Amino acid sequence: MKIRDRLNGHDASEYRPKMKILFAIVAVCLSILIVRLWYLQVIRGDELKQRSENNSIRLRKIVPSRGYIMDRNGLVLVENQPAFNIVYVPNRAKDIHGILKKMEHLYAENSLSFPSDPFLNKSIKPFVPIKLEKNISREKLALVETNAIDLPGISIEVVPVRKYSGDKMMSQIIGYIGEISQKELEKNETGDYSSGDFIGKQGIERYLDPYLRGKNGAERVEVNALGRTLKTVGAIEPTPGHNIVLTIDYALQKTAWDAIDGKAGSVVVMDPRDGSILVMASSPSFDSNLFLGGISFADWERLASDPLYPMENRAISGQYPPGSTYKPIIAAAALQEGIITPDTTFFCDGTFSFGNRTFRCWQKHGHGNVNLHRAIVESCDVYFYNVGKMLGVDKLHEYARGFGLGEQTGVDLPREKSGLVPSKQWKMKRFGNAWQPGETISISIGQGYNLVTPLQLLNAYCALANGGTLYRPIIIRRIDTPDGKPYKVFNPEKRGKIPVSQKNIDILNYALWGVVNEGGGTGYALRRAEADVCGKTGTSQVVGLPSDEKARRLKQMALRYKDHALFVCFAPYKNPEIAVAVVMENAGGGGAAAAPVARKIIDAYFNAKTPVKKRQPLMADHTAGENRG
Amino acid sequence: MKFDRRLFTSFDWTLFSVVLGLVIIGIVNIYSAGFSMHEIKQNPQYIKQIQWVIVGLAAMVVAFCIDYRIIARYAYVIYGISLLLLIAVFLYGTTTNGSQRWIILWGFSFQPSELMKLTVIIALAKFFDDYNLTGGYELRDLCVPFLIMLAPFLLIIKQPDLGTALILAIIFVSMVIFVGIRFKSFLIACCTGLLLAPLSWFFLKEYQKERILTVFNPERDPLGTGYHIIQSIIAVGSGGIFGKGYLKGTQTQLQFLPEQHTDFVFSVFAEEWGFLGGFLLVFMFLMLILWGFKIALHSRDLLGTLIAYGITMLIFWKVFINIGMVLGILPVVGIPLPFLSYGGSAIVVLMMGIGILMNVSMRRFILQS
Repeated sequence: MKIRDRLNGHDASEYRPKMKILFAIVAVCLSILIVRLWYLQVIRGDELKQRSENNSIRLRKIVPSRGYIMDRNGLVLVENQPAFNIVYVPNRAKDIHGILKKMEHLYAENSLSFPSDPFLNKSIKPFVPIKLEKNISREKLALVETNAIDLPGISIEVVPVRKYSGDKMMSQIIGYIGEISQKELEKNETGDYSSGDFIGKQGIERYLDPYLRGKNGAERVEVNALGRTLKTVGAIEPTPGHNIVLTIDYALQKTAWDAIDGKAGSVVVMDPRDGSILVMASSPSFDSNLFLGGISFADWERLASDPLYPMENRAISGQYPPGSTYKPIIAAAALQEGIITPDTTFFCDGTFSFGNRTFRCWQKHGHGNVNLHRAIVESCDVYFYNVGKMLGVDKLHEYARGFGLGEQTGVDLPREKSGLVPSKQWKMKRFGNAWQPGETISISIGQGYNLVTPLQLLNAYCALANGGTLYRPIIIRRIDTPDGKPYKVFNPEKRGKIPVSQKNIDILNYALWGVVNEGGGTGYALRRAEADVCGKTGTSQVVGLPSDEKARRLKQMALRYKDHALFVCFAPYKNPEIAVAVVMENAGGGGAAAAPVARKIIDAYFNAKTPVKKRQPLMADHTAGENRG
Repeated sequence: MKFDRRLFTSFDWTLFSVVLGLVIIGIVNIYSAGFSMHEIKQNPQYIKQIQWVIVGLAAMVVAFCIDYRIIARYAYVIYGISLLLLIAVFLYGTTTNGSQRWIILWGFSFQPSELMKLTVIIALAKFFDDYNLTGGYELRDLCVPFLIMLAPFLLIIKQPDLGTALILAIIFVSMVIFVGIRFKSFLIACCTGLLLAPLSWFFLKEYQKERILTVFNPERDPLGTGYHIIQSIIAVGSGGIFGKGYLKGTQTQLQFLPEQHTDFVFSVFAEEWGFLGGFLLVFMFLMLILWGFKIALHSRDLLGTLIAYGITMLIFWKVFINIGMVLGILPVVGIPLPFLSYGGSAIVVLMMGIGILMNVSMRRFILQS
């Protein structure tokens, strides 16, 4: 091989045959393109032309109007109202920045401020309207409308938005809606949701979203060469959402909210005859209206970082040691198991020794000789230490579960907690070590590992009140079609019977009556002229046992180590029709801090009832109170 | 070098007219592609394209005034500078649509990978001219040219810009076939290539695999990857024989076509001008390529032949792959259509290439004497 002389030896004709072949290849390749072009444009031309014409018809979503939410008396709690957005359609005006300047100027003249969006530039796509400002005030609306001629491309869009009445008093149950998130879209398997849709994020709005939202409609609009709508070719009307009727009583809810506003705690009120919830209030709360059109970052930060969790529905998500409100359940177990009779007495000197530990009664000096009735009325701890010791943890567990504790009540709300009823098995699984007999002593006065939600506790008491039936609490009474016909009615649903005989239930209810109406009773705050309320106080310890010196000192140091106050009651004593549970966080003793709240509700309930009011009890009457006297 | 009157008398008017015709069609077409946006955009693309064409014409003049033999003398230097620019992109480049291709030079955003195509052709031509072997090359002779191609290839694929990298590789193969390779070496290279091809599948990004799979079945994902192809096919096909008329392509004007200024300009053209327009355009490219081959054949030295051939093949492959992709017979790899697609760097570099082609064309008469 030799390197040839570059210039003189070049003979291009040497490459001629190769060049011919290469050119032939090029020609063949380009011919393939021509053939393909022929195939698409001539052979399939008509078909594809058809498709391109269909292409110029665009589908546009029509948003349905979301269902209303009403209270049990038909009072509208959540409705829709028109909101006005300022929209800019990019193809009508030449220069968006000029228009924005104009608007800013116009606003400034009327001392209004215009929110500027630095990302506006990037999001401009032809024919896709951009929201410049959401939910504008009437003042701005008037201003823009009157100056419409000077603002080409700017238009007002009317969209329905939610209106939540009642401020904060029931935000956790009602919840709120927001634009569907990417995650929610991915989870959406039914294909009912599309991006840009609004979806319930919390509470009833979330739980009943499939009913409330209705069905998107669509219209086929023909767009002209400039993309402007020429006419609507056809439309599928949207189906409005269903209306929801709750079991909540707005007036009573307001009474409850006013009583706990400004404190941390919750109130649940139920009708023991059918398990319907009349009141569910949780404080602190938030305003659902904040979420309209997207919550501002500052507001969200404030809500999310609040140490008192205003977004949490304490009535179903708050878990507390039940304290002394647990005692009737232990008493029921002991009576039913035949371990004690109503006449069994124990001597209380203020302390109870077990192993090398000493448990105390809340009454330092002791209650002396007490029988079951007095033990419940005065809430004697020592009595129940003795009873609990004799029952053992597994019997306690069995009966607590029998009252529906330790599992979700099944109420139709998202994020319900199940509480906790400890057992030997549970402890082994959870901590990997054996149950200590001393722990039984703690749980027999409702402390230790025990955890209940206010709703669970109330539901258990309702079972005592109604003669033993455990209901699934209902908060939704009906789902109505948009034209007002009942679509789905939620009937009272029995979950079962508590494992206690009627005779024993009567004994317990009489004791609960005594708590309120007898001398020395801890629930004296509910002592009404009618003497018709039964109840039980409770104090749930936040830190350890009182015998623990360190905890005691901590308790004095910080509010958040202060005890929670509990109170559960029902009335009237004969044929109860209302039951109330109150939990006030870090408020101290149940009798002093929680009972007055319950009093207000009981009073309001019966005051509203006094003018001729017929309430049809859903349950057959049962007689109680043979022990009265 | 003193002024030679023959530079003008022998000016390649045919080549110039074809290219000017294509560029004008391009501007007219880009005007249509962006027509529905003109009211909104402050600086429409067709204006920018005109500006770039003017810059391109200047580059063309520069490219044909300097004797291509002088350019080739500095081939490796130019190659080195281009490579440094590519590395600069890698280090300081700006990212658009997830790939890092641009650097800012004197206030212009510039795509060195476009320049690299031309530089590689000149460097390869220089190499094969310097080491011209009779009887074909063996694999070991091809190591250096392979590396010349490989270095920018790897840098570009990393951006990632699969299309441009692919063009580099195809140019390399085209040139090697032209200068001649021993049959045995050719077989070995083919076998290695076939063995490595399945491996390279694993190095492709997910979206690139998608695109390749979508060619075989566009309905695979009609709103995702297949959307480009389906909309493009509808646009082209709906043009029929005579087209829908200028500025009347519904697919184009209603913005159903993605990337309609750049990679999918041909569908805009075919929709509005129909089969007649499309045929004419492809025919113009065929004329251009034929003319390029003629220049290569009539060059007075091997260097000129190789440069002219390389540039012609560059245009051919870009045309074939781009239109093939628009018509749904090749994967969507992101190669613009020469002279018609919107894009500053590409048009300037292409016109520079045409300048060099004219350069070779004219000097055959000068060198004759």
